[in-house]
Amino acid sequence: MIDDELWSAIGDPTRRRMLDLLLANGGGTATSLSEHLPVTRQAVAKHLGVLDRVGLVHATPAGRERQYTVDEDQLARAISQLATVTEAWDRRLRRIKRIAETIQRDREPNT
Amino acid sequence: MTRSIEREIRVEAAPEVVYEVITSPEHLREWWPDEADLEAEPGATGTLTFGAEPETKVATLTVIEAEPPRRFAFRWAYDGDVATVENSLLVTFDLTPSGDGTVLRFAETGYDEAGKPDEMFEDHSRGWAYFLPRLAPYTERLASRP
Repeated sequence: MIDDELWSAIGDPTRRRMLDLLLANGGGTATSLSEHLPVTRQAVAKHLGVLDRVGLVHATPAGRERQYTVDEDQLARAISQLATVTEAWDRRLRRIKRIAETIQRDREPNT
Repeated sequence: MTRSIEREIRVEAAPEVVYEVITSPEHLREWWPDEADLEAEPGATGTLTFGAEPETKVATLTVIEAEPPRRFAFRWAYDGDVATVENSLLVTFDLTPSGDGTVLRFAETGYDEAGKPDEMFEDHSRGWAYFLPRLAPYTERLASRP
């Protein structure tokens, strides 16, 4: 089973863009991120809260604001879950193929 | 977005056979869950049960399209609620006859609709296809960490 919360956290394009910016800049604040995004500082802060809750970012106090950095271990975990989901479907499809082909052969004993 | 998986495989069996394998509970439980309760009719809801008692996990499923032997689509959610646009993934199977066999196209998409459009970019190119390659260097670095 995949981690739903982690998925939906990373499933949002604005949050992915934010992770991208945080990785590229080695961190950032709600204010610095909002300068690069077409959303308000408040919206950015809300998204950072979602990312923080699932452990994708960590905050440290920086003056009046909080400095956020990406937790690369957790990000790698999210990415590996994507690979796991894909592999699971590949296995299921292989089983569908095998079952259908077995039934087909049984129905046509002469071929 | 763009949590989406797409596959295309060739099956050496008639579309009718493939359709039966995909839709009937009898076969479903051979290729996916441990138990399946499902009627392949549009709008019907069913369940998939994973694992053995008492550690079972029940996923719910809502059939969206059932057109034998061409197309079968359903939504599934693993939080136990009825699978709707807001909480579930959409799985589609498209079957095309090809010689004596079938080309089976599979897709699983979702979470698009579960997002909040007012907070989202109008930029759908920034999906996983864009994102993952950019992250590869980071994951490689993590993998090579002592």
